Amino acid sequence: MATGTQVDVVMPQMGVSVSEGTITKWLKQPGESVALDEPLLEISTDKVDTEVPSPGAGVLHEILVPEGETVDVGTRLAVIGPEGSAPVAADEPVAAPEPAPEPAPHYAPPEPAPHYAPPEPQPEPAAPAPAPADPAPVAAAPSGNGKFVSPVVARIASEHGVDPGQVPGTGAGGRVTKRDILAFIEAGGHGTAAAAPAPSGEPAPTTAQAPTAAPPPPPPAPPSAPRTEPQAPPEPTAAAEGEMLEPMSAMRRGIAEHMRRSLDTSAHVTSAIEVDMSSVVSIREKLKKEYQEAYGVNPTYLAFIARATIDTLRDYPYVNGEIRGEQIVTRNFVNLGFAVELADGKGLIVPVLRNAESLNLLGIARGIADVASRAREKKLLPDDVQGGTFTITNPGGYGTFHGTPVISQPQAAILGTYALVKRPWVVKDELGNDVIAIRPIMNITLTYDHRLVDGALAGRFLRDLRARLESWDESAYQG
Amino acid sequence: MAIAREAEPVGSLSEVREAGLDREDLLGMYRNMLITRGVEERGHILYKQGKIPGSFYTGRGNEAAAVAIGTAMGPDDVGTPLHRDMGVHIVRGVEPWRIFANYMGRADGPTRGRDGNVHMADARLGLIAMVSHLPAMLPVAVGAALAFRIRDERRVALGWFGEGASSRGDTHESMNFAGTRRLPVVFVCDNNQWAYSTPTHLEYAVEHLADRAQAYGFEGVVVDGTDMLAVYREAKRAIEKARDGGGPTLIECLTLRMEGHAVHDDAFYVPREMFEEWAKRDPLERFRDWLRENASLTDDEEDEIAAGVKHLLTEAMRRAEESPLPDPSTLTDGVYADPDELHPPHH
Amino acid sequence: MAELTYLQAISDGLRGEMRRDHRVFVIGEDVGVYGGAFKVTLGFQEEFGPWRVIDAPLAETAIVGGCTGAALMGMRPVAEMQFSDFVSCAWDQLVTVAAKQHYRAGTAVPIVVRLPSGGGFSGGPFHSQNPESSFAHVPGLKCVCPATPADAKGLLISAIEDPNPVLYFEHKHLYRRIKGDVPEERYTVPIGKARIHREGDDVSLITWGAMVYTASEAADQLEQDGVAVEIVDLRSVLPWDKSAVLESVRKTSKVLVLHEDTHTGGFGAEIAATIGEEAFEDLDAPVKRLSAPDTPVPFSPSLEKAFIPQVEDVARSLRELAEY
Repeated sequence: MATGTQVDVVMPQMGVSVSEGTITKWLKQPGESVALDEPLLEISTDKVDTEVPSPGAGVLHEILVPEGETVDVGTRLAVIGPEGSAPVAADEPVAAPEPAPEPAPHYAPPEPAPHYAPPEPQPEPAAPAPAPADPAPVAAAPSGNGKFVSPVVARIASEHGVDPGQVPGTGAGGRVTKRDILAFIEAGGHGTAAAAPAPSGEPAPTTAQAPTAAPPPPPPAPPSAPRTEPQAPPEPTAAAEGEMLEPMSAMRRGIAEHMRRSLDTSAHVTSAIEVDMSSVVSIREKLKKEYQEAYGVNPTYLAFIARATIDTLRDYPYVNGEIRGEQIVTRNFVNLGFAVELADGKGLIVPVLRNAESLNLLGIARGIADVASRAREKKLLPDDVQGGTFTITNPGGYGTFHGTPVISQPQAAILGTYALVKRPWVVKDELGNDVIAIRPIMNITLTYDHRLVDGALAGRFLRDLRARLESWDESAYQG
Repeated sequence: MAIAREAEPVGSLSEVREAGLDREDLLGMYRNMLITRGVEERGHILYKQGKIPGSFYTGRGNEAAAVAIGTAMGPDDVGTPLHRDMGVHIVRGVEPWRIFANYMGRADGPTRGRDGNVHMADARLGLIAMVSHLPAMLPVAVGAALAFRIRDERRVALGWFGEGASSRGDTHESMNFAGTRRLPVVFVCDNNQWAYSTPTHLEYAVEHLADRAQAYGFEGVVVDGTDMLAVYREAKRAIEKARDGGGPTLIECLTLRMEGHAVHDDAFYVPREMFEEWAKRDPLERFRDWLRENASLTDDEEDEIAAGVKHLLTEAMRRAEESPLPDPSTLTDGVYADPDELHPPHH
Repeated sequence: MAELTYLQAISDGLRGEMRRDHRVFVIGEDVGVYGGAFKVTLGFQEEFGPWRVIDAPLAETAIVGGCTGAALMGMRPVAEMQFSDFVSCAWDQLVTVAAKQHYRAGTAVPIVVRLPSGGGFSGGPFHSQNPESSFAHVPGLKCVCPATPADAKGLLISAIEDPNPVLYFEHKHLYRRIKGDVPEERYTVPIGKARIHREGDDVSLITWGAMVYTASEAADQLEQDGVAVEIVDLRSVLPWDKSAVLESVRKTSKVLVLHEDTHTGGFGAEIAATIGEEAFEDLDAPVKRLSAPDTPVPFSPSLEKAFIPQVEDVARSLRELAEY
């Protein structure tokens, strides 16, 4: 119904299957007045000939489709303007008629029934994140034996960085089945159906020395059952101008694989706490000379922290625990791993101090010194790098004050220690007032697997660790 | 040879009073007929203006039958009116703006845009929405009557069907079942003589469809569908008979479909003489003439009623046009009912 | 707890609901005086009277349409089609009226249509069908297919409670052959939830109705060969428990869909397509279907045996999958 605005006249749909109509006669010409519902034009369709009543009152401004033309349902045929208005300058005759505009919702030409796409995947996708969204699955299959790789095998292969071509297949035609590849992975990737050792505990009988065939799984922690070799890289590409290429060493590939797998497996969360190390500093000063002379060993801050950590782990078994399948493993022992940097930036190795809970401060200091030196001299035995239940890493050697290390699978957490820095600190004086003092402060982080360890638990762990470090009772830790 | 009773026309105002109507009622019925025709005429224009999608059906020529039967229904009675029975919706209280909104597929129509035309019904007004597969609503009307019978309620169900739909098995099964159990249902046949382009002699072989009632064990009556009061009287009789446990009745209302099957059909197959003859029996004019003659309807009253109807429909159109189109994101809502839509069990 | 046959469990559930709720009534051919062609409603008319156990004329359209009308007036009708095969006579009422009423008009249609289905006893083409797939395709309807006596009772009660039209496919061949523990009290089995009939790691078998038992026997055979078959009893075909099926598929990576209904367009096709769409990367073998061939149900025993999936057929398919 027209009042002060223009009204469009459109081709009506005279029947469900009708899609077009022909103008047979205009009953009004531009400039003439038109009343609401007054017959305005005559049309002819497949079903019926009829007249079209005007949808508005006013003046016919322009005719967009002349007599004799056939147009689609919904096409604009004419424009009616308010009473007393002048027709606008004629547009070019519409050769390609446009559909009716809003706001008066005219019925647009019949469209195909509303396309009903299946609802978005319900919150039950094929479980643990389908395709890890990277092209790896494609790269996983290409190995040269030409055998068919099923979708689930391709997925598992890409998730573990395994080349299905290396897996012995027991399926039809020798193909690799899901069982085959899972067994292969559990067995450590040597193609035999060896009893897969439990992830932590028994070491697999591989040498940790030979840096080629079976590289000692290096990363921030040794997977106790050495993982399969990272897959062979795709064909090397040529270096562009200004680029240099070098092959990845087995150790580097191992680190890469383990880092990725660790982040994909655990829900990494880091909590941090600042520790006033004044007690430790003072006790260490006292013990340093004695330890050097009597035992040839330096009581490092790491040793103190390790000792306090072991005690704290006793109260928080999950932090020393492991998720194995659908079960949670806790222990009455601590095999403490220490991240050791190899010379020349070649990588990282994490020797393990077994049964560290039985060692006192001196024992720990000696133990650390021992494995660290053997690590650098490449004299570590398999036992030395496997079976860790908890790891401490010390990135703070270079002055950094914070970090978020990667957990060494299959452990549940890793402790990070950072630079010891003198800071102004608020303390209480003898009268109980707040005063500023200079204190040696160390930031310590616990990166934990939130699947097993909750934030509150981690917080309490760190709180207790701090308490032990801040109130070190030297008498309790004498050699 | 006819079997069904042929209804007598209603003569005077006193006969009308016997049938239970007073002058006020009569003026109200007249007004309802005007609204019915007005809604459909307006809708017809809107359709040709492209504002109503799909197809458009009217019951032009059937207004008296529809309004009369709607008026004869009791407040707790239910029915399944069809596309020629807009008058039933009007009498029961469906607001014209919602009818326009339904025609235009707007969110405020009774079906919220999920069905068009007069495939709508307000259940609170005792109406059940029709489907296209006619007469599939007849068994449903019988089912409603069955519920009343089981619960011993003094309520009646009405099921409508056209003479075309009478050819389908649903008609037979419904009437047969209702007859065997003497259910409180009234069957109303809108015989407008054309099922699309099919004339009655190709649709049935008896003289009157109402003759078939005997075959189901109950009474059938044929009535001039353009005679408002005759239809009313028969409907009232049949409804009250059913209410009193007398079982079903089949009322055949004879009219002519004055327009095409739908607006897109120009009914070229209907002999012009038929249109001419039945145009003289236009139900609105007939009733108006009767009122003038027998109930002293004045010009002023007539004008007042007409003006009121015009205003009502203009407002209704405006309000319907303001109703939005349904939101596509609601497409999949309501396929299933939730348990809390129904009452808990009672014993 | 009592040990009841499948048929007794259905009767038990229905009787309980009729006692509990006066709105529930039964209507069908020969359900009253005769007690039902299969005697499911034996004794019902004596207890509830002829207006709650209604002997209808031979008129499926009137029966189902009548239920729709009565339900719209607040009743809870339970119709019986004498054989599921005859539901095709009432197809229009179900698909055109009952299924679409709530969507269009906002009014609920709480009806249940009981459908004695399935073959295996030379019932011939018109007394042996499993017509669930065509109705599973109709939005607005629900379809359930219990296999155990306990599920038969619980699902019937859920169906009666449900405010939507529910088609209840009771497999005739289970009526007296299968016995099981059935709780005496009133309980419901949720519509749309599957049940793990048997756990296994190697192959998933998705099925419903009488085929659950055929599957079970086949699984026993495979167990001898060291293959552990997991049987998922869907219990409902519309809605169906997609997540239970996908979970099983993720576990075993090999799946056979089994149904007694014919092959093309049988409901197994929907299940297989969904698995392909949503669990592609969990598959270690193509999704297989085993069903009756695309013919009417034959009468002669030798033909019927070739038509209905037998234990050997299922075992063979399972073995092929396991070895893939």
